[in-house]
Amino acid sequence: MSVQARTGPVLSLAGLNKSYGALQATGDVALEVAAGEIHALIGPNGAGKTTLVRQIYGSEAPDSGSIRLRGEEIGHLSVPQRVRQGIGRSFQISNVLADFTVIENAVIAEAARTGDAFRFLRPAVSDPVLVEGAIKILSRVGIEGRADTPVSDLAHGERRLLELALALASDPALLLLDEPMAGAGPEETQHMIGIIDRLRGDVGILLIEHDMDAVFRLADRVTVLVEGAVIASGTPDEIAGDAAVRAAYLGSDDDAAA
Amino acid sequence: MGVFSILRDGLARNRLLGLILAGFALFPVLSGIMDEPFWNDLAMRIMLLGMAAMGLNLVLGYGGMVSFGHAAFVGIGAYCVGISQFYGFDNGWAHIAISLAACGLLGLVIGFLSLRTTGIYFIMITLAFAQMLYFLFVSLETYGGDDGMSIDRADFMPIDLWDPLRLYYLIWAGLVIVSLLLMVIVRSRFGVVLEAIRGNESRVEAMGLVPLHFKITGYVISAMICGLAGALFASWQEYVSPDIMHWSRSGELMIIIILGGIGTMAGPLIGAVAFLLLEEWLPELMHLVAPAYAENWMIIFGPVLIGVVLFARGGLVGLLARIGGRRS
Ligand SMILES: Nc1ncnc2c1ncn2[C@@H]1O[C@H](COP(=O)(O)OP(=O)(O)OP(=O)(O)O)[C@@H](O)[C@H]1O
Ligand SMILES: [Mg+2]
Repeated sequence: MSVQARTGPVLSLAGLNKSYGALQATGDVALEVAAGEIHALIGPNGAGKTTLVRQIYGSEAPDSGSIRLRGEEIGHLSVPQRVRQGIGRSFQISNVLADFTVIENAVIAEAARTGDAFRFLRPAVSDPVLVEGAIKILSRVGIEGRADTPVSDLAHGERRLLELALALASDPALLLLDEPMAGAGPEETQHMIGIIDRLRGDVGILLIEHDMDAVFRLADRVTVLVEGAVIASGTPDEIAGDAAVRAAYLGSDDDAAA
Repeated sequence: MGVFSILRDGLARNRLLGLILAGFALFPVLSGIMDEPFWNDLAMRIMLLGMAAMGLNLVLGYGGMVSFGHAAFVGIGAYCVGISQFYGFDNGWAHIAISLAACGLLGLVIGFLSLRTTGIYFIMITLAFAQMLYFLFVSLETYGGDDGMSIDRADFMPIDLWDPLRLYYLIWAGLVIVSLLLMVIVRSRFGVVLEAIRGNESRVEAMGLVPLHFKITGYVISAMICGLAGALFASWQEYVSPDIMHWSRSGELMIIIILGGIGTMAGPLIGAVAFLLLEEWLPELMHLVAPAYAENWMIIFGPVLIGVVLFARGGLVGLLARIGGRRS
């Protein structure tokens, strides 16, 4: 590992561009997520937040620009390769294995994490080694009590928690969270905020969130995206006080961000 | 956990399949008592078609890949026997090994080329490959072309197949091996990941796995099982022609799976029993009721199938489970 790999940002984007026809979804974006920090990415609907996450994750190729994970260029890697390099992602629309139970979801994630998924003999779901790891995965978000519940019976908030657990299962260095509280009730939101807060320091998080209360409670830094371009980046206080941000995004009326 | 306890555990979870296999083991006793040797013949056909359907079910039912060309693998398996014999190569075990190798390789190539697509494109590509192979064998005059080639019952040293009952139990043993193999695979890490891919490929990718690798592997295993069924089929029918890989044969395998219960262990075999019994009895029944339409027994069979699809979700296995009040 280079010095930069240990001390530098976990993610750095430079000159990233992506157009859909005439629409510039990502415009010359530069952004850094420091190791262990929670970096919020905010912006109005259609600003290009999910598109940016998809380029970092590898499911969408940028037109140009560089994506570095711990200092190493990853732009040429596939999604599974990037995951194995240390990227975890939760999706804007819940994305868990809906036909399985909670523990089965985690067992598969554990088999993937240990790199031993290509085995044909021993039953996976009753493998004590996998189950032990799976329970650990679930307990990070506190849903190990729901282990035997089919995913289809989970409440929406519990699904979001399971998804977070799966994103964390591979012990990522960078976690991409695309609106993790979307659709959750107030209590579930508080629970989720607590869990994300406790991840601070362990994993760099790029957090897309519309809930400004959550953003200003969690974020170490905030980047504001409007029409594909970064219009401001800084501490929550700086962003709350930024005139351009208030005009473009938070609304021109005073105290919108409070 | 040793291999035996894994197998025991697998059988305990698939009682229905165990029951049917036991039924096939004992069936010749019944047909002997009734003095109806033709019944054994029908039972062998059921087992062979059931085996091929089980192979397809791994990709169709568990993996969610709608392959519309699996009869090609059955055909290649059978032709491997015919062609080996054509060149004077008589050992039945070697035939099976050749069939497995050929179908594995072919499955790898077809899987590699087609599994990058999904949905209707995948269906069309697999159908296209199967049609290519069908017309290839129609045009290969050396191997009988359209008329096919006759096959001698192969030499399965030390088992001498002069007694048809020995062939019966050879096929039965093949079916048992395939059943146990699938039973174990489906519950293994590989099998669980394959099923996860069926439901949600992007989540499996997000775990750092490459879905294509699992799909291709499943496709190869499935092709090899169909190849085994084909190789045994050649010995049973003592004849092979391109008809065995006609696209309608692929459709038949899919119908059998849906009829019996897609994505279940016992489904393909129960489906094969139901399908072939209907095929056997419906024409006779029609003869009694409406002789003029006896040729068109499919007129009855079609609605039966639609009924099963609409009203018996999970096929006959699902129906049995509901009647029995528990899942198999
Ligand atoms: N595959 C695509 N083809 C064409 N246009 C696209 C595609 N994906 C996204 N877009 C467009 O790019 C823009 C950015 O979309 P994106 O989903 O990234 O926004 P977002 O910031 O995540 O919005 P939201 O807050 O609503 O989730 C939108 O105008 C969207 O319509
Ligand atoms: Mg979005």
